[in-house]
Amino acid sequence: MPPADAPLLLEVKGLKVGYPVQRRMVTPIDGLDLTIREREVVGLLGDAGSGKSTAALAMLGLVRPPGRILAGEVRFLGQDLLKLSPEGLRALRGKDLALIVQNPRGALHPMLPVGRQISNAYRAHGAASSKEGWQRAIDLLRNVGINDPERRVHSYAHELSGGMAQRALISMALSSTPRLLIADEPTSGLDVTIQAQFLDEMAATVRGTGSAILLVTQDLGIIANYCDRVVVLHEGRIVESAATREFFIKPQHAYSRQVLSLVRAPATPAKFAADIAPLIEVRDLVKHFSIKGRDKKVQAVDGVSFAIRPGESLGLVGESGSGKTTVGRCLLRLVEPTSGDIRYRGQSIASIKPAELRRFRSKLQIVFQDPYDALNPRYTMEDVIREPLDLHTDLDAIGKRRRIGELLDLVGLDPKRMGEKPRGLGAGALQRLNIARALATGPEFIVLDEPTSVLSPLARVGFIELLARLKKDLGLAYLFISHDLTTVQHVCDRVAVMYLGQIVEVGTTEQVFKRPAHPYAQALLGAHLTADPMHRRVDRPPVNALAGEIPSPIDLPPGCYLASRCRHVTEACRVTPQTLAMHAEGRPVRCMRVLAGEVPIGGSP
Amino acid sequence: MSESLAVADHIEPAGADWLFRIGGAIVALVLFLAAFGPTLAPYNPTLTTPEVSSPPPALADLPRLILTAIVSKNTAPVHWFGTDASGLDIFSRVISAPRIDLTIALVANGLSLLLGISIGLLCGYFRNLGTEIIMRVSDVLQSFPVFISAMILVALGGRSIGNIVIALAALYTPIYIRLTRAEVMGQKVRGYVEAARAIGNGEAMIAIKHVLPNSLTPALIQSSVTVGFAILLTAGLSFVGAGVQPPTPEWGLMISTGANQIVLGEWWPSVFPGIAISITVFGFAVLGNALERRYAAG
Repeated sequence: MPPADAPLLLEVKGLKVGYPVQRRMVTPIDGLDLTIREREVVGLLGDAGSGKSTAALAMLGLVRPPGRILAGEVRFLGQDLLKLSPEGLRALRGKDLALIVQNPRGALHPMLPVGRQISNAYRAHGAASSKEGWQRAIDLLRNVGINDPERRVHSYAHELSGGMAQRALISMALSSTPRLLIADEPTSGLDVTIQAQFLDEMAATVRGTGSAILLVTQDLGIIANYCDRVVVLHEGRIVESAATREFFIKPQHAYSRQVLSLVRAPATPAKFAADIAPLIEVRDLVKHFSIKGRDKKVQAVDGVSFAIRPGESLGLVGESGSGKTTVGRCLLRLVEPTSGDIRYRGQSIASIKPAELRRFRSKLQIVFQDPYDALNPRYTMEDVIREPLDLHTDLDAIGKRRRIGELLDLVGLDPKRMGEKPRGLGAGALQRLNIARALATGPEFIVLDEPTSVLSPLARVGFIELLARLKKDLGLAYLFISHDLTTVQHVCDRVAVMYLGQIVEVGTTEQVFKRPAHPYAQALLGAHLTADPMHRRVDRPPVNALAGEIPSPIDLPPGCYLASRCRHVTEACRVTPQTLAMHAEGRPVRCMRVLAGEVPIGGSP
Repeated sequence: MSESLAVADHIEPAGADWLFRIGGAIVALVLFLAAFGPTLAPYNPTLTTPEVSSPPPALADLPRLILTAIVSKNTAPVHWFGTDASGLDIFSRVISAPRIDLTIALVANGLSLLLGISIGLLCGYFRNLGTEIIMRVSDVLQSFPVFISAMILVALGGRSIGNIVIALAALYTPIYIRLTRAEVMGQKVRGYVEAARAIGNGEAMIAIKHVLPNSLTPALIQSSVTVGFAILLTAGLSFVGAGVQPPTPEWGLMISTGANQIVLGEWWPSVFPGIAISITVFGFAVLGNALERRYAAG
């Protein structure tokens, strides 16, 4: 952290940005004041629609058309950026001022190799030869942790994974050692392990170059772990500015307090007697997808077994591509499982006919990731909820209307608005509507497939509270599929960790979060950014990190699937297929070295 | 001192509304003439008058003639567009023709729309060998030159309005099949379809209740363009003698009959119906275009 009297780098005063909407000027940014000192890492926190991205761009003198900067000044190194000539601005941008945007692959030129792009950015501000630029590109890629940079400089954008593309972008942004780096949600859409890796590298690189960072984000974990100071943007203004620790201890503004309420009061998991008959039982579930034109198969789900008791919520976590979404779909037979058994209250539903299956639909429900896509765009809120009532109940028109009203009320939506189309609602309200539809027929079990991933922090807090309330009041059981570990921690009683189609560890939420046993679970939880500014990730070297990339689910290794990335790997691991067996602590783990007690069980804070 | 950043995705297409109005006005006029054209016509469009091959009035005389036509009701109506070689009043025929042309076009289009959307939904939602065969058959139909196939169909079936309608409908159905099928294939992987399945709908129910209403837009937009081209094709068939029987007032037929006189310097029997066709087809095409810009994206 820089000293409090470090010289000012950026000073924004009274910034106002306007967009003409139907002949009126709407001002998403109205009177924004902000300062950044040299070498400082400032987190800009705000909800969806608070104007974070607009603010970040406006500080560079940029506005998306047809918007305009209406007033204010942006002092950077003593000059007002908004009064500079286009040439003057261009000299600063990319040299002293750099920007990283949200969608890394979209920001790379699709038809130039990344090396050329980095070299161009470097040469735009210094008189370097093309050969020097190329060499610099290789060095920069190596600095941001890309393996084999001599080969990667020749890659095109589509050949890079999201994480790698983002690293290429940051190396471009850092090519001229800028004084200030503005990063607009640089890790949204990346998996937790990649996110942590990327942010670690960004923090380390920036510490080396002495740049300051303005990190725009919705994620409290990122703020707590990487930022020195937090500024909160709400309705176009900065409503709070505090050192990170103070912010987490004593948030001042109502918005901050609401967002932090989850962090401050973790849920208490329910206790279950061991002899309760399971509500849902899955045994050796397998799903292969065949690839067209080749006789190879993608093993999306590879022998998954678990049980969920009535009223229990099981979290299913893992990176993208681990098969967790396919498990949820197979469970309701929205995707036909290749083999395995699924039992609901002891009755097998894995191979019954579709017509018979429809009877179970009222008891087993699902809520999807994208709340907008899951709703027929032509349906009003009333139509959406009426459909399951039409299919599964004998209520008359008045009875249905009453039930629709009750359901909307239950999920916290205004029943008076039931005639409206969902188009104008925010993601949080849409997801509540999806829950209401799922609840319409009185289910006992709901698959929640990443239900919070597109929600803003505030909507997420409300939604998690709703899930907890429904679970308590209606005795619902959940299969909660998510890569958002904070949410899992608050909703789930037990957690299963998936890697490449297999469950590698199952345990109570406390066990898995406090003492992850499997090396993959250790890595995943180690990458989890806890919103706790007392144990900042930047202050301690990352442990348990995985090396390399996730293997392709088409050509899986013969032994342990994690062998190529694991720190504890032995020759035996590479050839022995691993089985899920009971660990001494009383929970199943899929790793022979952990089971033999040869690998220390993780103690993440 | 702001500067444009990304692609200008928020700028309204400025010309769209203007085009929409022009297209809409032309289509409204054609529809109006289809309804009232024969009633408003000063002469019976199928009865000859004594004046044979009389030219339209000179431009300089127009103001005087319009004035007399408004003031006095007793004099014989002016032949605004002249008369043809048989003495038929061209103006009356031009404004009476929409009833025939538009009826053929609308009925043919309606039939092919109905057929195309149903088959398109079937082939897009259920992908199997049967629906693949249907698609290949429709591809073969579509690969014939439109005009030639229509001529053959009418030649086989005889020159009647019914046969022309059937010929046109058969020609336009594959277009609607393709459009609807493509849209259905895009819609059926959307989340709301899976959600409908999850709450217990059967597949046929999902296809009709959820996918179909969300897949109609491209076909409906296309139908405006198709009506315009159906009018053009009807006229074309009449022109080559495979269309309606003379002396039915029909634009293509009028151009065809008038074509013999063009060498004698009598341009008016062909030019006026030609202009009418151009404006009509233009109107429908522009309306279709404007509709597409307005609704296809959203």
